[in-house]
Amino acid sequence: MLEIKDLKVRTGDTPILNGLSLSVKAGEVHAIMGPNGSGKSTLAQVIAGHEDYVVTGGSVEYRGKDLLQLEPEERAREGIFLGFQYPVEIPGVNNAYLLKAALNAKRRHQGLDEIDAFEFLKLAKEKMALLGMDPKFLNRGVNEGFSGGEKKRNEILQMAMLEPELAILDETDSGLDIDALKAVAHGVNALRSPDRAIVLVTHYQRLLDYVEPDVVHVLSSGQILRSGDKSLALELEEKGYDWVREAANA
Amino acid sequence: MSSLALPDKALATAVQGLPENALAANRQAALARFLERGFPTTRLEDWKYTDLAAVADISQRWLENGAPLPSAESVGARVAEIRAAIDIDWIVISNGVITDGLDNGAIEGLSIATFSELDLAPGYDHPLADLNAALLPDGLHIRVHANTAHERPLGLLIADGSDSQPGVAQSRIFIELEEGSRAQFVEYHASIGEADHYANSVVELSLARGASADYVRVQGRDSRHTQTHRTAITLRDSSTVRYSGFDLGGRLIRNDLDIDIAGREATALVGGLYIAGDGQHVDNHVRIDHRVGPARSEQEYRGILGGRCRCVWNGKTIVQPGADGTDAEQSNHNLLLSERSEIDAKPELEIYADEVKCSHGTTVGQLDDTALFYLRSRGLDKQDAMRALTRAFGASIVSHSPIALLTDHLKETVEQRLSTLTDGDDA
Repeated sequence: MLEIKDLKVRTGDTPILNGLSLSVKAGEVHAIMGPNGSGKSTLAQVIAGHEDYVVTGGSVEYRGKDLLQLEPEERAREGIFLGFQYPVEIPGVNNAYLLKAALNAKRRHQGLDEIDAFEFLKLAKEKMALLGMDPKFLNRGVNEGFSGGEKKRNEILQMAMLEPELAILDETDSGLDIDALKAVAHGVNALRSPDRAIVLVTHYQRLLDYVEPDVVHVLSSGQILRSGDKSLALELEEKGYDWVREAANA
Repeated sequence: MSSLALPDKALATAVQGLPENALAANRQAALARFLERGFPTTRLEDWKYTDLAAVADISQRWLENGAPLPSAESVGARVAEIRAAIDIDWIVISNGVITDGLDNGAIEGLSIATFSELDLAPGYDHPLADLNAALLPDGLHIRVHANTAHERPLGLLIADGSDSQPGVAQSRIFIELEEGSRAQFVEYHASIGEADHYANSVVELSLARGASADYVRVQGRDSRHTQTHRTAITLRDSSTVRYSGFDLGGRLIRNDLDIDIAGREATALVGGLYIAGDGQHVDNHVRIDHRVGPARSEQEYRGILGGRCRCVWNGKTIVQPGADGTDAEQSNHNLLLSERSEIDAKPELEIYADEVKCSHGTTVGQLDDTALFYLRSRGLDKQDAMRALTRAFGASIVSHSPIALLTDHLKETVEQRLSTLTDGDDA
């Protein structure tokens, strides 16, 4: 589904990704772990199409297409979803408007009719119930005055509504209390299917107790140093990131 | 020429040509005062950014043509449109003439009359108020009886313009809210027609003890037309005014809003939204004079500018000696969608009392890139995302506007205006 080969990215004059390769297949859940500043968030942002990051080498293929040629909105309509580490507050743009506009943009792209108001509301309320969200959030500004946990739940709500083929969740687990973490995990697990892939970018292995990954990667200095199964996450938790770096240098 | 003057004789003839009524003597006095001072020029601090040369030019050409009062029919289509869009009782002033009034007594607790019927002379010391008084066919006087409450807004529609020749129109409204009364007003400025046009209006609002007024001013003029408009509000003890102004059209627009806080425990809450595109100049001057305390004033103006245009916001709050217990806030935020847009924003606080709480804040910026990327990452195309963020920027002014019945209309009108703004300019 996603083929990243030797990807090199910089922002300004600073190189961040230095030849990163990653292959994600449909049906898989990958976890990308690594210390702060290792390039985890950059990778997520580059896949979503953020313009601040300049790709200087390598390639990213998504379902056989050259992803780097697509605008951010085209990527979204093609089924890519980025759960932001810091969801943006947008006062004055209401949540319902965004959800509906996003959903309809994707439906139009797929050649489907736009969803009607009744169906939309029904779907939104159903997904909100799943995530333990008050339907009142629909009429509030996007993330406006939301707590950290509410913002993350809102990201998962958008994901649940859009049903992406490839979901990348950038530290969606950070700063969550246990209830919010479980709600997020529940949303992610509900999306798991043989047709979809999920990439969890995370600093801690905590989320992985609830969402079991198929593959775990360790990212450091803009490269994947090591990949393994879920036991790698546990080993990291125990031994710290220095262990991987030392092992790689040895 | 050191000032923007109008030819004496032609102006005097125009004044002579007005309908004979009780205002005649006052017109002559106002004419003399205007001729002495002429239009304000950019040499005056208050008029630094707004040049009335175009206004003087239209007036001159109008005078050369014999100062005709265009017919009410020429604005009929626009009047019908607004009546259809906003279902309230309207008093219509077409090209300066009260053409469609309400019978006095049509609304219980409300007296409606003309200045000439009441033998009332239009006052207010300002050159533009003098020009207005000199050329005014008649004024509209509304009195809200003591201790009456009016839940249904009263519409004041000032519509002007003409297809054939340059036009000038004056209108004046005086609203008196007696003790403990409550009322809502929608003041709509609209224009139509191919010819150049200058509208000059003065609205005075006087609130007695414990009175309360909700007031929305909408300026939806044709993009070819010009306006100078002055609103003066006097607040006595425990009175409250909630005022919102929306400037959506016009070529050259200057609004002055003067609020005189003359009573203790008075409250003035003011909001404003101006949207300007190619070729527009929109100037809002707000002056809030706290003469006594405790009292509270708040003003928040927002501007959305696209294309080659210029907007001016000047918010002046004065706290006079002894006005202790004043709580005054002012803010002005501007969104510039184009590099060719210009905003001159000037907050001013003059404080001569000790026990006061005053604040001000001004910002000028572009659309937030982070928010734009967030929306695009959800599948919204760039244009839609920009439009949503632009709309959101003005949304708080619309939603805080004091007359709920008007909110949907405002939303729609603002939306329409923004769609032409962001479509035409993707800078």
